[in-house]
Amino acid sequence: MPLALAKTGEMQTIRKISGRDDTKRFLESLGFVIGGQVTVVSEINGNMIVNVKESRVAISKSMAARIMV
Amino acid sequence: MIFALAGNQNCGKTTLFNQLTGSNQHVGNFPGVTVDQKVGQMKSQPDCSVVDLPGIYSLRPYTNEEIVTRDFLLNEKPDGIINIVDATNIERNLYLTLQLMEMRIPMVLALNMMDEVRNNGGTINVEKMSEALGIPVVPISAAKNEGIEELVQAAVRVAKEKRTTKVIDFCKQGPVHRCIHSVCHQIEDHAEKAGLSVRFSCSKLIENDTRIVDMLQLSQNELELVEHSIIEMEAEAGMDRNAALAGMRYDFIESVCADTVIKCEESKEHIRSVKIDSILTHRYFAIPIFILVMFLVFFLTFNVFGAVLSDLLSLLIDDITALVDKGLTAYGINPVVHSLVIDGIFAGVGSVLSFLPIIVVLFFFLSILEDTGYMARIAFVMDKLLRKIGLSGRSIVPLLVGFGCTVPAVMASRTLSSERDRRMTIMLTPFMSCSAKIPIYAVFAAAFFPQYAALVMIGMYLTGIIIGIIVALIFDRTVFRGKPIPFVMELPNYRFPSAKSVLLLMWDKAKDFLQRAFTIIFLATVIIWFLQSFDSRLNVVTDSADSILAAIGHLLAPLFAPLGFDDWRIPTALITGFTAKEAVISTLGVLMGTSTAALGPALHTLFTPVSAISFLVFTLLYTPCVAAIAAVKRELESGWLALGVVILQCVVAWLAAFGVYLLLGLFV
Repeated sequence: MPLALAKTGEMQTIRKISGRDDTKRFLESLGFVIGGQVTVVSEINGNMIVNVKESRVAISKSMAARIMV
Repeated sequence: MIFALAGNQNCGKTTLFNQLTGSNQHVGNFPGVTVDQKVGQMKSQPDCSVVDLPGIYSLRPYTNEEIVTRDFLLNEKPDGIINIVDATNIERNLYLTLQLMEMRIPMVLALNMMDEVRNNGGTINVEKMSEALGIPVVPISAAKNEGIEELVQAAVRVAKEKRTTKVIDFCKQGPVHRCIHSVCHQIEDHAEKAGLSVRFSCSKLIENDTRIVDMLQLSQNELELVEHSIIEMEAEAGMDRNAALAGMRYDFIESVCADTVIKCEESKEHIRSVKIDSILTHRYFAIPIFILVMFLVFFLTFNVFGAVLSDLLSLLIDDITALVDKGLTAYGINPVVHSLVIDGIFAGVGSVLSFLPIIVVLFFFLSILEDTGYMARIAFVMDKLLRKIGLSGRSIVPLLVGFGCTVPAVMASRTLSSERDRRMTIMLTPFMSCSAKIPIYAVFAAAFFPQYAALVMIGMYLTGIIIGIIVALIFDRTVFRGKPIPFVMELPNYRFPSAKSVLLLMWDKAKDFLQRAFTIIFLATVIIWFLQSFDSRLNVVTDSADSILAAIGHLLAPLFAPLGFDDWRIPTALITGFTAKEAVISTLGVLMGTSTAALGPALHTLFTPVSAISFLVFTLLYTPCVAAIAAVKRELESGWLALGVVILQCVVAWLAAFGVYLLLGLFV
């Protein structure tokens, strides 16, 4: 399922990232890699704050929809 | 020797730069404060300089400021790289390290924030990590000035010995490994000819970095061979090339970290940040809190601290003016010189100078927003709303900085990764009323609406924002069609801003302002005084209405008649405002020949309350000052577009002022 649908607080494993190459690469450099772990910390109107590697990253709804967990 | 300081955003590069060089660059708590490279000399090694580069997450640039960093490393070929990493977030930070290592430039790794790691029960085996990566690793704390000397020594050593980084196979046996080695083999000669490291070129080929691909000058046949290897790898690995490469890098990092790092527990700073975020980025309260914060910032600036200090300063300036006036009269100095000093310089520069405290206080609050880390949250919280007008949350930062000064605001737009978003943001920043316009609003509000001064101020800011939104909506549907880029941003931990950093910033802004007051504004007042004191035959005029300036003003006055103000002095004030916005007030001061305190009442002879509002709306919106236009031209890389901004602003200003004048005329 897309990360956008993940529950707050549950750790998820990233399965796939889709979208344009440059955004994908940017997500990868921020630590979103296939097999890596990600936890949704909070969510406002679909926009999310997630924990990935040891940092917190804010991503918009459309970005969260591209990350499959 | 030249060292490049490279690292992720917000990992303490600028703090380290300041420690290394003893300079005082502003350090923010917002990813991407450094958008430009800065050079400084090392304190302890006078023959070495350090270049502070904008923070990047990878060598495959995503935003403009990342290109600055990549291009510097490629073109300037520094003698060494100091790669600073945030030790509390080591895995993500090492991702860049691996890519830097591929460039084969002598390099040291600075593990920053080691104090925080230790305080939270973590350790890093520095020697083992150094062995695994093949580069010196030095634990430091840039904020506490620990380990800096060791770092400098290590950096100088590797650079002197020209100890290039070793080529390490990040990959275990497998499809990615095979692909990298076959591509490396195919392009070896080309990379050497282009002066690039083979491994680096190979990664860039896989990532399809067109600039590097061009530099390699591969033939069509060779390109196809490379592509073939990559496609084979994608099929075998079962994921696309970027994911495979990223996966390989992170796997290597994980294996290094498993041997060397005992992770710290969740740090106190982190836990605190999560708690604060649960309020400040709350589902329902986030936006009301933001509005409240901004309201408080302006309220405290205009009504509490700034206003009181400004009033005091203005009294002081009036006293000094009176004193000098008396002294010059007693001395019996030539009346023309007397007029130059008192009616020209003191009336002009003095009227602007008294606003110094308000402006410094406003910058103080804006820097607090940034230094605490709240600015990044604002970007996140406002993303949804900004999308409705065709921008993304990232644009909020340049726009907020625009309340201070348009020049840094336009530069801050470099953090935007999409060219469309960036251009649109640059075109919109002038609608955010900059601090130089505060003197104009303050003088007019005090003169015409003393009871509602605060309301007038807020009204001006809101008008700017509303018109900005309208223009954005029009842009979004005409010249800048398309979608703003999806929002992704690292949220830094909240930090208590350091007093030193904030004070330095305030001092910087005060210095800027004083410099402007005594250069551009000083010059403008002298010129205005001259033009209004002499006629075209250079005789001293008794009535300034006969002066050269009046002749120029009369030419332009009809343009402004529909807006409700057609006195010749007003267009001239607006023209001088082009040099710096404060000059509008200083010019009016000179032209009315009054002191700061008496300027308000004197304005009643030029304006009615209604035309005063129309004038304020015009000054709010008309062309940004020369410095801002220059910044716009630089960032848009086009003189024509910059000219377009000037014309756009003037037209919008005229229309808005005309509309306001007509509308208010119906009621009064």
